[in-house]
Amino acid sequence: MSTLSPDQIKVLEQSRQRLVQLTRSLASLISSLNQSDPLPQWSSLQSQASIISNNLISVSDHLTDHRDLLTSLVAYPGPEYPSRTQANTLEQLLRTKLDPRVEDWVARGRTAGTEAAAVSTSGFNPAISIPGSVAGHSTGTGRPLSEAQLAELWEWAPIEANQEARRRNWGGNFTLEEREQGIENVVTGLKKELEDDEGSSDEEDEDEEDGEEMDIVGVHRKSGGSGLEFDIAAHHAHAVQPVVPLGDILRYMTTGRMS
Amino acid sequence: MHELLLFASVPVHQHHELLQQLAGLTAMQPRHALERRLIFKAYRKPGLITTRTGGSQDLQSGDLQRVNKLLNGGMFYTQVVGPVSEADFKVSGVAPDADTQMAGMEDDSKSAPTQHAYDYEQQPWKLEFRDIPEAGTRSAVTSRVMASASMPRGDIVPSMNAWGYSFVTEYVVEGDIFLHNDITIFLHRVLHYPASDQESREPRQSLPAFSEMTTLEKSGSYVLQASINVQDGSNQETMKTASQHLFGLREQLKSAVKLEQADRLSLDTRAK
Repeated sequence: MSTLSPDQIKVLEQSRQRLVQLTRSLASLISSLNQSDPLPQWSSLQSQASIISNNLISVSDHLTDHRDLLTSLVAYPGPEYPSRTQANTLEQLLRTKLDPRVEDWVARGRTAGTEAAAVSTSGFNPAISIPGSVAGHSTGTGRPLSEAQLAELWEWAPIEANQEARRRNWGGNFTLEEREQGIENVVTGLKKELEDDEGSSDEEDEDEEDGEEMDIVGVHRKSGGSGLEFDIAAHHAHAVQPVVPLGDILRYMTTGRMS
Repeated sequence: MHELLLFASVPVHQHHELLQQLAGLTAMQPRHALERRLIFKAYRKPGLITTRTGGSQDLQSGDLQRVNKLLNGGMFYTQVVGPVSEADFKVSGVAPDADTQMAGMEDDSKSAPTQHAYDYEQQPWKLEFRDIPEAGTRSAVTSRVMASASMPRGDIVPSMNAWGYSFVTEYVVEGDIFLHNDITIFLHRVLHYPASDQESREPRQSLPAFSEMTTLEKSGSYVLQASINVQDGSNQETMKTASQHLFGLREQLKSAVKLEQADRLSLDTRAK
């Protein structure tokens, strides 16, 4: 076996770097999911996911490009390798078969891949398929829906969703079930406190009923503080703005002349 | 004495609401006020004036000194203000403007069985001097030197002429006064006398019917003036406290009206 050329070492080094990048971005996603409470912004999750996906693509491209070299490479310990102190690493390096857990992953990935490919070649929408891995099963049990099933789903879903929606009284921050179980227990994952505005909705209804007789009052949040502020003079049915500016009136009052 | 002021323009449609809001804020009923205001203008260089002229005998010596001082200071417009009541105006068949009754004041002109005649000779007057607002103050309130002195009743023109002031014009201010702690709130507007054939060269001896008075601002809008008088204008501490009180009022009324500093030159009392 000949020794590696500098180019080949460079290829190995590149694959190492790309794998390191991939593990790093995976680790950062995991830690942000585990540690930040509430959950991070969806946009940040999405950007992390796209970074990971890019990393995967680059690793995959790299492995494909140098497939000849990488398949022909064999690892063996040199005489100067500290095999006594680094036995674990050595075993990992000398392993020819994959770790059993990893083998499961690979098998699951393969089946998902072939199924998706089969579905996409036969013209089905692969996005509908529900892979078993998402649902937590150890093997891929998810099968894509047939075209007839899909059509049936699309026919049924809008009507059913509409009926479900009509059964509920929309508005407010909490559902009836949540309120019955106590809104303190609801995990919203949101930073701000949601108010249960069920109690005040009755008053609002009354307000709306005699709204015709009431003055229109503008309400806006106080800037830099809590509470509301009322624009008492904001609107009027017969608004007549003064024609003469204040300055001219004051000037007349002072000197008896307008200008 | 110093006067700190904030002004706001109040559209006529907002007047009634604002009266109620101010009554609520100040916990008092508005005090309706009608004033004749005569504008006089200095025509003589200061320093040439002798005070031994008729008409000033009624003045107390303290007032006399003060009047002398403020009239000799420079060439200024100054105002002579006389309180009048609605009963002083000539009774006419026309009902007074609904807007003027709104403040809950009694309708004297209708209810009084004996006709009250306006007596110009008994009209009390007060001389009100206002300096041009101070320039370049960092505070966002109008601040100016002011002084007032009571004047003899009756015809004021000879006295004013003797002091070197000539009559320019006159108008009537109609409005309501509120007191809120140390702030005087005056919601008012200017009324013109009905146009007469000859331009009057002296104050009117009689008043026309109140309903014939026309507003200076055609839409009938009002001016809201919030003022605090500070006895010692050189005391920065009291001046600061007073402007802070005005800012407090501005904050309270913020959603209803925007009180702000007046354009300094619009309150320029210097006679050119």
